[in-house]
Amino acid sequence: MATFSDLDSLLHSQLRLAIVSILMNTESAEFTYIKEQTGATAGNLSIQITKLRDAGYITVKKKFKGNYPHTLCMITALGRERFEAYVDSLRDYIK
Amino acid sequence: MENNIKKMSGEESIKIITDMIEKTRCNIKQGSFHLLFWGWLVLICSLTEYLWGQFSNYDKPWIVWLLTVPGVFVSLIYGFNKGKRQTVYTYADRLYMWTWLSFLVSAIILVVLLWGKMQYMGTYILMLAGFPTFLSGVIIKFRALMIGGLCFWALSLVSHFTGPDISPLTVPVAMFTGYLIPGYILKKEEKNGNV
Repeated sequence: MATFSDLDSLLHSQLRLAIVSILMNTESAEFTYIKEQTGATAGNLSIQITKLRDAGYITVKKKFKGNYPHTLCMITALGRERFEAYVDSLRDYIK
Repeated sequence: MENNIKKMSGEESIKIITDMIEKTRCNIKQGSFHLLFWGWLVLICSLTEYLWGQFSNYDKPWIVWLLTVPGVFVSLIYGFNKGKRQTVYTYADRLYMWTWLSFLVSAIILVVLLWGKMQYMGTYILMLAGFPTFLSGVIIKFRALMIGGLCFWALSLVSHFTGPDISPLTVPVAMFTGYLIPGYILKKEEKNGNV
């Protein structure tokens, strides 16, 4: 049986888990969209996105729409793999 | 949303995951424009062709279908502008878009194949349109569109087996059942914020 400590500590946090859950179901999502869906502050969201990016769970691209910069987030193969492993561990833990 | 590790239970984790998946699920449903635009355009073209053929001596009533050419551009420009404003792209978005673009290519090829035999166009285009309509209903989990696709296929057979007096009316009927009814249901749901 899995224990609490088996859960991926990077994913086992409310905001980071929400970010990865959104990205698992989308091809790409803009920073503003994730902020809207999670209700997080821009500062906090930015910090958590950076942590996930540094761990290789997501990729972040900056692009321009007209004159405005947009931050686009996408999940990586590693992020997908870790999320699936997290869900499996969670199932075992809940049992 | 906070970022608290210690307090989050397993149940809370599951709730966050399901909430976020639910929020990203229905993105494409907010797009009744194409269904209503094409529903009305094809309805008007098909009825005009029918009435023109019945009540005048003009031998090329099918020329009214040329209205669909600017229609394609209107649809593409609308889709392009909407895509530029979109802040999230789901896998279903992409599948939905390519399903309809594939239909567009198939429909253009069908026009080339049936050139000179335009009286059969309605039958074949209904059979072809049933595919993206039904599949779109499956992708966005929208039963009215799935039923619409089934109606296209059924009316394609009706069109084939009935005479020239009834066959041309199958296209306008199909537009009601396949595009306009699902389109207005979607529009209502958009207004009510259900999608």
